[in-house]
Amino acid sequence: MTNDPDHLILDKILAGEQAAYAELVNKYKSYAYTIALRILQNRPDAEEAAQDAFIKAYNHLAGFNRDSKFSTWLYRIVFNTAISYKRKSRYQFQSLESTVVEYQQEGEGLLEKTDKKKYLNAAMARLNEADRTALTLFYLEEFSLEEIASITGMQANTAKVRIHRARQRLADELTNILNQEALTL
Amino acid sequence: MDKVTPESDDLLLRYIDGTLGLSERQTLEKDLEQNEHLRKRLDQLRSSHLLLRANRLEQPSKNFTQLVMSGLNHDPIRGASFPIRNSILLLAGVLLVAIIASVLVPAGVFDNISTTIDLNQVNLPKKYVEKTLPSISIDGKLMVNLIILINLVLGWLVLDRAILKPLFQRRVQAGR
Repeated sequence: MTNDPDHLILDKILAGEQAAYAELVNKYKSYAYTIALRILQNRPDAEEAAQDAFIKAYNHLAGFNRDSKFSTWLYRIVFNTAISYKRKSRYQFQSLESTVVEYQQEGEGLLEKTDKKKYLNAAMARLNEADRTALTLFYLEEFSLEEIASITGMQANTAKVRIHRARQRLADELTNILNQEALTL
Repeated sequence: MDKVTPESDDLLLRYIDGTLGLSERQTLEKDLEQNEHLRKRLDQLRSSHLLLRANRLEQPSKNFTQLVMSGLNHDPIRGASFPIRNSILLLAGVLLVAIIASVLVPAGVFDNISTTIDLNQVNLPKKYVEKTLPSISIDGKLMVNLIILINLVLGWLVLDRAILKPLFQRRVQAGR
């Protein structure tokens, strides 16, 4: 059992103080949403998946054995929920407006020059799902390699190698995108 | 170090993270002074690193928390109680089958149920069958006794894992 300060809040919730859960939602919503967004690459789906994950976590709170931090347990639920949304969405129409990266603009000069975030999103979109998730968790700077491995269901060594390769790939993709952009100017 | 290799990338990433030892760092810095490719690669890796750090968190909608809270059940313990109720029903079913079978076996209902499976009647190609195959006799009473035993083991598992364990967990949590 860990000395997680969140466990005190969990005790309140399990004692019937439902409103205390809002404290946990506020604390972790950005992280949960970011993980879901990196996997789904679609803002409305990510929002829905993250909300769904919080509700699932609440419904299973009594079964949380507290061997890990609450956040690690929650992000594992977010990760699994987002993956299942991803599987469903493969068979559904995706609105181009809502997707994070809009490839249809590529011929017109992929992204605005000044918006670095869009370059990053475009490069991230070229990575595979596992690389994106591993990188996102690594850069949240919240977790050890073991915790990242636990959230994503990998071995710690595999997670380390994946993060390392993903950082290389991301740098390569960013370079490619910037080179393409330079050619279109 | 003339070219950029996976090994040099590894060193550069550790340099960016500040996890290189002193001697490794000094060697790399010397290489960086002399190798333009390496400097360029360091810039690429550092740019993506800084970009990721600067954009590590995305913000959900403003009413995110409100939407989550409105979607909650009243009580998480109540939410978790449905599997226990289902487990009790499953246990009752398992025990009912075991009790009915236990009553029927001494009454001799299964005494006359027996059959023999003759493997020689199965149409196998002769080249695969060198000897005469045995016949297997199946005793109905023995089969029912086995089913009772399996049911009792299953019942015990359901009682332990799906009923008692969650129940004690709840008591521990309620006592905190």
